[in-house]
Amino acid sequence: MKYRVCHKTTYRYAEPASLSQNELYLLPRETGTQKVIESGLSILPQPQYLHRRTDYFGNNVHIFMVQHPHRELAVTATSLVETTCPATPAPEQTPSWESVVQQLAAHADPATLEPCQFVFASPLIELTDGTRDYAHTSFPPGRPLLAGALDLMARIFTEFTYDKGATTVDTSVDQVLTNRKGVCQDFAHLAIGGLRSLGLAARYVSGYLETTPPPGKPKLTGADASHAWVSLFVPGHGWIDLDPTNNLIPGEAHITVAWGRDYGDVTPVKGVVMGGGAHTLSVTVDVKKQV
Amino acid sequence: MITPEPTGPASSQPSSSSLFEVLACPPEGYCEAFASPGTPRPHWQPLIAALEAMSPQVLANRQDRVRRRRHEDGATFNLFDDPAGRATPWALDVMPLLVTAAEWAALEAGLLQRARVMEKILADVYGPQRLLREGHLPPALLFANPRFLRPCHGIQPVGKRFLTFYAADLYRDARGRFRVLRDYGANPCGLGYALENRIAISRVFPELYHKAQIRRLAPFFQTFHQATLQRAALPREEPGIVLLTPGPESRIYFEHALLSRYLGYPLVEGQDLTVRNGKVFLKKLAGLEPVEAIFRHTADAFSDPFALRRGTTAGVAGLIQASREQSVDVINPIGSGFADTPALAVFLPALYRQLAGEDLLLENHPSWWCGTPDGLDHALSNISQLTVEPAMDPSGAPDRETDLRAAIQANPHAFLAREPLRPATAPAWGPNRAEARFTLMRVFVCATAEGFAVMPGGLAITATDVGTLTGDLPEQQQSKDVWVLSDQPVVPFSLMGGLHEVAEFSRGSDLPSRVADHLLWLGRYLERSEGRVRRLRAVFRRLSGETRASDIPELPFLLNLLVAEGALPGTLREGEILPRYRELSAQLQEALYNQDRPESVVAVLARVREAARNVRDRLSLDSWRVINRLESFADAQADDPLELLDDTLFTLSAFSGLAMESMTRGLGWRFMDMGRRVERAMNQTRLIRIGLPRACTASRSALEALLEVSDSIMTYRSRYRTAFQLAPVLDLLLADETNPKSLAFQLSQLASHVENLPGRGSRRFAAPEERLALEMLTAVRLLDLTDVACPGNRDPHDDLAEFLERMAAHLIQFAQQISAHFLSRVPATPHFSMGPGGRQP
Repeated sequence: MKYRVCHKTTYRYAEPASLSQNELYLLPRETGTQKVIESGLSILPQPQYLHRRTDYFGNNVHIFMVQHPHRELAVTATSLVETTCPATPAPEQTPSWESVVQQLAAHADPATLEPCQFVFASPLIELTDGTRDYAHTSFPPGRPLLAGALDLMARIFTEFTYDKGATTVDTSVDQVLTNRKGVCQDFAHLAIGGLRSLGLAARYVSGYLETTPPPGKPKLTGADASHAWVSLFVPGHGWIDLDPTNNLIPGEAHITVAWGRDYGDVTPVKGVVMGGGAHTLSVTVDVKKQV
Repeated sequence: MITPEPTGPASSQPSSSSLFEVLACPPEGYCEAFASPGTPRPHWQPLIAALEAMSPQVLANRQDRVRRRRHEDGATFNLFDDPAGRATPWALDVMPLLVTAAEWAALEAGLLQRARVMEKILADVYGPQRLLREGHLPPALLFANPRFLRPCHGIQPVGKRFLTFYAADLYRDARGRFRVLRDYGANPCGLGYALENRIAISRVFPELYHKAQIRRLAPFFQTFHQATLQRAALPREEPGIVLLTPGPESRIYFEHALLSRYLGYPLVEGQDLTVRNGKVFLKKLAGLEPVEAIFRHTADAFSDPFALRRGTTAGVAGLIQASREQSVDVINPIGSGFADTPALAVFLPALYRQLAGEDLLLENHPSWWCGTPDGLDHALSNISQLTVEPAMDPSGAPDRETDLRAAIQANPHAFLAREPLRPATAPAWGPNRAEARFTLMRVFVCATAEGFAVMPGGLAITATDVGTLTGDLPEQQQSKDVWVLSDQPVVPFSLMGGLHEVAEFSRGSDLPSRVADHLLWLGRYLERSEGRVRRLRAVFRRLSGETRASDIPELPFLLNLLVAEGALPGTLREGEILPRYRELSAQLQEALYNQDRPESVVAVLARVREAARNVRDRLSLDSWRVINRLESFADAQADDPLELLDDTLFTLSAFSGLAMESMTRGLGWRFMDMGRRVERAMNQTRLIRIGLPRACTASRSALEALLEVSDSIMTYRSRYRTAFQLAPVLDLLLADETNPKSLAFQLSQLASHVENLPGRGSRRFAAPEERLALEMLTAVRLLDLTDVACPGNRDPHDDLAEFLERMAAHLIQFAQQISAHFLSRVPATPHFSMGPGGRQP
């Protein structure tokens, strides 16, 4: 499926901002099931400095600086991507979760070295008794890895309420566990925390969902802004995505932008501004199917 | 008691006397100074003999001199928050630690190896990561390690040097062999204290220092500087090197200021620097000046709030990006804190064999990382005989209360088990004799074009118990100078050469805006405190006589003045009855000592010191020493306030004199003097406004008081040789441009300062502050004082009063204009944004 994505972020400052530095994780990366046909950034006012690189996790990062006084800053990322449906193994055919934990702990072969970096706690995802206990319910002894992960995802979907007002960027995974409310980022962090607590490798994926669902299908949550989900390492298959906010395995309608240990590694737009006073922010995301 | 030879070669006779005879080294540890009780090791004999030759009283005096010097140099931390905050990090003990030439040679070789392997590891971890992929480094050591900074991966540092400044803590084990306890890569501290210790000890024991062949430290600093120039291909003249400090709040700010001065690298804080187009600049009055190298004394995590820890104002937003662009040489490159990972040391012996094909000469303190099955096994089976420490994250210290075994099993990679430390002991000066103290030695290594160089000396750290010794509270530890003995005569090198000049980063006579701002305020607060002290002194002088307060005609004027300045509460109106003596006395005490009253003497003095602390690298060591004397004001609470005020005035004058004297007549001096002039002009205006009505009614005494608090009595007498009269007094205090205390003098100085501020050449029109200065100067020059006489019916002072009010308003405007134009052009407060909406839905 082909999609055109347009993600626009606008800051308006009460007073002129004299210097603005920003880091962008906005242009999609290529994956086994995603081809990037074209992508580009438009920044207004024109930045004096723009630098592109590939980060430690292989994502596209842009750093730019606007160095003269400005009252408004608009960043628009547009891209044309083509997605295909990933092949998903039969959940019951995947190896037992304990064997995967052992394999990761031994990290004997190069193939498990890469997932090893997603086994540990990360700045926004603490591994606690709470996360372990919550995940453990889905992983009785000997259960195939993907079967357990699907169960965990379903439990998060049914036991937690989607509530935009319930959490902030500082809400910890343990708080989410207590309040049973949150948004896609919280659910992704919770699922990742649970999986890592058991010794499994899980990473955070930032991306988009198709805005208008196919006729007759309901519109999915998280479609009007950037979205986030989880990816789990399954030996023999590689990484398998899971979307706990919608309780499904992402298919063609999920567009991957970047992945990392948690939201902090792949924040779509973050920056430092000198001056500017109070600011307002508006974000719009539009994902259109191309025919 | 044996009297040992004070000079000459070591005597083979065992020496013992009152100083050292009771020195008891713990039996299980190595004893630095004595081979056995009463028998000094040969290389210690001359020192021990020399110390024995001094009386304990002399030694105690020298120890006291060292302590005082440290205090006066401001090697203290927390100078202002804690009234008892006199704690000195690494207080200096007079007895140095000695290392023989042979021992040092072995140590040096070991340290060079270690620095080399550390740099190779850093280059690999932040580059190809072969060690990881080939299984020489375990994944957890990187992936679970907060000291591994992913944003720094792929950065190629200037000169391809991943480690340019390295330090290690060493101790001697029971057999006397040096072992490494800790490594420091990111921003090793203690180098400045080592330098300060050497300067202090060589002064306290000049005869000893010059007689013994002790390797000098200065060449190391030269090597460090040369290597920095060479690495970044910097010009010898005016290279753009700065020393980045977290600021005066740092416990070891003293060290940053000292190193800045010694190396000649301007001391800057994060907000002084800005990144534009991937390059680092220093914000100065006239604009931005490029920075090519940064000697960084900020921790890794606090070096770039944009890429790393957000929300802090320490560090420089964009510094990592500038490093990526290779436009700046950061010493050390950000991310080199990976070398500080305690668990990393466990892998060094094998890594060195792997990388260099030989064994490390210096062994580690025996440690086991629980992240490997063997290490975990060993730790769990010997847990009662081991100490358990965080393996990577310093904040992850194991909680004694929790079940340690369970904590380790749940998260093995987070823990490092170590054998309990039994370091050697060295003699230190106790209250009246030598005592044994546990000792560590911090040694420093810098990169050179060929590899690395080790500083022949270091910072010996001592404590009475091992826990304090290895803890991270330097104010509870003591330190020693380390004397590396040489077989050959040493070339004398002056350490002090660089210390008398302020490191001025300049191509042209420009100044960082923040520094200019602090200097301006330093000038203002100095003037304010001098004025305040003068007025209070005038009051106390009068009250200390036998005259009743109500019989002193000028007392209400003086008190009114203090009220107008906010030093005394309430309002005193003309003709009002004076407060009762007891009440007045209590109020005056408050005006001196009450720290909560913003205009009390003690509060203004605190602001003087605060402002001085912020520009400490600009002040000469002598003036800094003087200003630290002001600290005693708060505790003095003297019986005789007059004496205290006299002393304080003396100290303030000494400081002003030294500070102004030692400053070149550049912009720094200009801003400080502008502050002083603005404040004095404001004071003078207020003084006359309040004094004028009184001057006529109680003419003689009030006029004398006016002159006295303006410090102009002598000038008046020498000039007029007449009794005090209104017109000449006003002329002297307002219009006489030759009287340094007059308003006109201040204004003419201000007018000349603004003409010399940066940026003037490029403008066609006068800036607002220039116009204001000129307007004020013209007004005072045109002021006609001939009419001023004592009033008949109508008030002849109206014009003058109006003039003074206009002047007061203009002065405030002027000060604001200077700030707006020069000091706050580049906003320094960052705002952080994280979008969209801070999170993903």
